[in-house]
Amino acid sequence: MINVQSLSKKFGDIAAVSGISFEVKEGEVFGLLGENGAGKTTTLRMLATMLKPTSGTATMAGWDIVKEPEKVRSSIGILFGGETGLYDRLTCEENIAYFGELNDMSKTQIKERIKELAKVFNMEEYLKRRAGKLSKGMKQKVAFARAIVHDPKIMLLDEPTSGLDVSATRDVHEFIVTCKKQGKTVIFSSHSMSEVEKLCDRVAIIHKGRLVEVGTLDEIKSRHGKNDLENIFIELVGDRSESWQARMDCI
Amino acid sequence: MKAGRHVWIVFKKEVKDIVRDKKTLLTSIFVPMLLIPVLSMLVGGSIEKLNRDISENVTIALTKESDTDEISNIVENQIIRDYPNIKLIEVDDPIKAINESKVRLVLDFEKDYASKLKEGKPFVIKLIYDKSQTKSGGSLGILWDAIESFNERIVKERLNSLGISPEVLTPVVIEETNIADEEKTSASILAMSLPMMLVILIASGGVAAATDLVAGEKERNTFEPLLTTKPSRFSLLFGKYLAVTLFSFVSVVATMIGAAAGFMIDPSTMVMGVGTDITGFSIPPLAVFLAVIISITFGMTFSGLEIALSTYAKSFKEAQTYMSFLLIIVMIPAFSTMLMQPNDIPAYMFLVPVMNTLAAFKIVLGGSINYFYLLMALGSSLVYVGITLWLAATLFKKEKVLFRS
Repeated sequence: MINVQSLSKKFGDIAAVSGISFEVKEGEVFGLLGENGAGKTTTLRMLATMLKPTSGTATMAGWDIVKEPEKVRSSIGILFGGETGLYDRLTCEENIAYFGELNDMSKTQIKERIKELAKVFNMEEYLKRRAGKLSKGMKQKVAFARAIVHDPKIMLLDEPTSGLDVSATRDVHEFIVTCKKQGKTVIFSSHSMSEVEKLCDRVAIIHKGRLVEVGTLDEIKSRHGKNDLENIFIELVGDRSESWQARMDCI
Repeated sequence: MKAGRHVWIVFKKEVKDIVRDKKTLLTSIFVPMLLIPVLSMLVGGSIEKLNRDISENVTIALTKESDTDEISNIVENQIIRDYPNIKLIEVDDPIKAINESKVRLVLDFEKDYASKLKEGKPFVIKLIYDKSQTKSGGSLGILWDAIESFNERIVKERLNSLGISPEVLTPVVIEETNIADEEKTSASILAMSLPMMLVILIASGGVAAATDLVAGEKERNTFEPLLTTKPSRFSLLFGKYLAVTLFSFVSVVATMIGAAAGFMIDPSTMVMGVGTDITGFSIPPLAVFLAVIISITFGMTFSGLEIALSTYAKSFKEAQTYMSFLLIIVMIPAFSTMLMQPNDIPAYMFLVPVMNTLAAFKIVLGGSINYFYLLMALGSSLVYVGITLWLAATLFKKEKVLFRS
């Protein structure tokens, strides 16, 4: 479903992503694990065709991100960051319908789909209210609905739980499970080990723009002879806290 | 086909979004609608009042040296006899009285005026006033007139006593005929103020929308999801661009409605106290059509610039700062050409940005239409539309600009 081939991105002289390759099969939930600034967001932005790769490419649902960006965009749904990014002055329904229209859905299709999604996310009550007047939790559900209104095959989620409280985080996790149940392929980035362990079929670890490990959780654990993902992660990306700890000890 | 549909979807949504923003509605519809009526009532009303104040109750006094019964008599019964609006009053300190605005002017007669008058020699009346006071300075002419007519009367008397007809003093009688009809005169007043106002209104009309539609969207995090929808970047940009262009004209239309309503309620205040009738002048339809097209291209040029600046800006605030610079760029040519008459506009001005629109409005409203010049203005304006749209599109595609924060 997703095939990333030596994807690279440079901003000026700085290489944000260097030659990343991996594959995600249909219906898989794939986790991108890495520290802040490791290149997760840049990778996802390239897959979403918001950024053009400096070299390399990827195919999403059979479409090339460089050559057929519009086709790629119509087969993906995104949820970026903790912010919902809804238009405050539009109602929830209008917010969802706008993205449906932009993705070439017909009016009747959109209507049907919104009805369906409103039931799934339990938001029938506030569908006609302006997004700006809703609570954060309500907004988030609208953002979920908007992301999948056009029934995309692939979902890209960039740190979807950052800055969220416990119940909102749980909603996101449930959303990912829902997507998986519907047969969607999901890539989501995170720096939370527990989240990745809980949800992902396979994981890739990115460090300084390079892919340092990829595989199922069991594969990775057996390869490193450790059962704790956090320890494996620290082993791979280097422990900055060690020197820090040493200095603290001196004091 | 699909691209066109995407543009239309974006355009529709942006218009809906902006219309729901009370702040934008206030600045782009209600304020412009009230602008002209309120402004002309204030300005027109105060000019009228000032003129009235100056011509009424012109108080004068005599200096201590001239304050004799004889002189008072000459002033009251001869000089200001036919001027009921001038009044001679008595004050202790004439100069102080001017400073305190108790009198407008003080007259000082030459000492031996009486003997000179008798001998037929000129004598001097000094007029003392304060130019820094509008009313004092403004009254000078009124008194000047009074003394002049006194002069004439004395001359006539003297000539009559010599048995000469006063007509020898006027070998030529001047008659003037103004071939500019009433229409043209009133139009030239319109040609002065209206182009300036139109250009400023069009240029500023889209500012709020442009700031909101890109910089605002970036700041509210709605921009990234939008970029991952199917339409191409250019379709998204063009939809936004058209929405901004539409709003450039909303203010203009609102202003015109306000002006028309004000004119219907009270025509006299609408010409800012100039007192000229602006009804009943007509412009050929083709010229009106060209002027409208030129103003639309001007609006598009500024929409392009505004979208470009809004895209370039790191934040909403930064975008607002850039926009205020943009308005200064419009105001400078608008004010500097305000007094330029339609017939005096050099040809090159029809090619210079902003100036070309001002010049086109001026010749159309001033009634001295030159279609070649109008086409020059339209042609150059179209080029600027292309350049600014290209600039906006280029910035809109630049990752560095789009994703910086």
